Amino acid sequence: MERVVTINLNGNPYQLEEPAYDALRAYMDRAQAALAENPDKAEIVRDLEQAIADKCAGYLSPAKSVISRDEMSRILTEMGPVEGAAPEGAEAPRAESFGGASEGPRRRLYRIKDRAVVSGVCSGIGAYFDLDPNVIRLLFILATLFTSGFGILVYIVLMFAIPSAHTSEEWAAAHGVPFNAQEIIDRAKREYGKFADDSAKSWRSEQRSWRREWRDQQRSWNTSFRSWETGANAPAAAPTKPVGYAERIFAGLFAFIFSVITAAFLIAFLIALFSYLTTGAILGWEAPNDVPYWLVLLIICIVYGAVATPFAALRRTSYATLNGRRDVGAADDFIVLVLAAVAAWFAWVYVPEARELMEQSYIVVRDFITHWTN
Amino acid sequence: MSDANEQFAGLRKGLLEFAILTVVSGRTVYVGDILATLAPTPFATQEGTLYPLLSKLRREEYVDYQWVESGQGPPRKYYQLTDKGAARLEELAAYWRHLTTTFENLGR
Repeated sequence: MERVVTINLNGNPYQLEEPAYDALRAYMDRAQAALAENPDKAEIVRDLEQAIADKCAGYLSPAKSVISRDEMSRILTEMGPVEGAAPEGAEAPRAESFGGASEGPRRRLYRIKDRAVVSGVCSGIGAYFDLDPNVIRLLFILATLFTSGFGILVYIVLMFAIPSAHTSEEWAAAHGVPFNAQEIIDRAKREYGKFADDSAKSWRSEQRSWRREWRDQQRSWNTSFRSWETGANAPAAAPTKPVGYAERIFAGLFAFIFSVITAAFLIAFLIALFSYLTTGAILGWEAPNDVPYWLVLLIICIVYGAVATPFAALRRTSYATLNGRRDVGAADDFIVLVLAAVAAWFAWVYVPEARELMEQSYIVVRDFITHWTN
Repeated sequence: MSDANEQFAGLRKGLLEFAILTVVSGRTVYVGDILATLAPTPFATQEGTLYPLLSKLRREEYVDYQWVESGQGPPRKYYQLTDKGAARLEELAAYWRHLTTTFENLGR
């Protein structure tokens, strides 16, 4: 006794014994894989289904309504293997990759963005260990709770250090599946293309609004931002040569380290600026009486620019290596701002002095605005 | 005979397109007709090979098809040769003759 599966072949129902269904499923999967490169794939698959349906009809009668396993295997033998008939010369490399696939590709840890909640770290780890990403997410949340926030830091470091799976090979390596499983690869390509499109769009609009908002204020401290302006306006540079896995890990770590350093400079700059504006002194140091107010502000800006610019350049280089592109737009600057904002939030919550300073700087900004609008 | 079948598989594969164009050139046919016509010949083939090949020929505009209602079951695709396909077949036939005469002359 076999379970019966009802399937829809080109709009008509057929009943198959379960093993027959499995055989048909496997045949159609192979056909889809063989036709992956074929522009008429959908139509050919429809034709094949119709041909199978016709052959099934030959085995059915009013007294017999289910296709058995043997009948299906006869039908599929008659159909014969589906050949790609794809672009000329496609056959040879495919045969080659089949040979290589028997040993299986090396499994590697990648971030998988098409199933990401934040940045794909958890889905990447899940794929690596064959676990449900939600399990990993739960572990991260628990770890964060038990280590009072340290887990988030680990996550952020991993986010930078683990390369994200960009190509289909990487996607496959993340899962440890043979990467000539054409259909899976196709899916990954499609998903990634979609993702890249969407995120590029949202990035661009974010960049634009951000740029508008900040342009006026940046004029005064533009030394450190000039490179960003040109970077964002330049046409997308051609991709440079692909970077190896290990290099990408290093580039990711450096990107993180330099981001933290530039964020620290930004915070120090803001603290210096506002503490001078509110108390007339920077960490207890008071400017000599004969140095005018505006000159001290200017010096703070110049020192910040001089110190932060080399690190910003290093950070930019790391990101460029990471993304395999020469310029990366405002993404890295944005990350610095996010890091600075996170640090500010922690300071607000845990450091009373910092909180006081921020409250005072709010008053300074408010007074400044009322001064200029009146 | 089965030996020749094995040995010259590559040769036949290259000529299959020629064979299909020739079958289609005679009359409008559906896939079942093509399979039945080729079955007793060395070019016997199967749906799994034929459908992708027909779709390639259609993409290259050598053949075209129409849906024709059949007595029983769903409508079928009936294939016919296009003008471009006829020209291609002409070309292939000429080249085939050239090849065979070449072989005849080589032996002398």
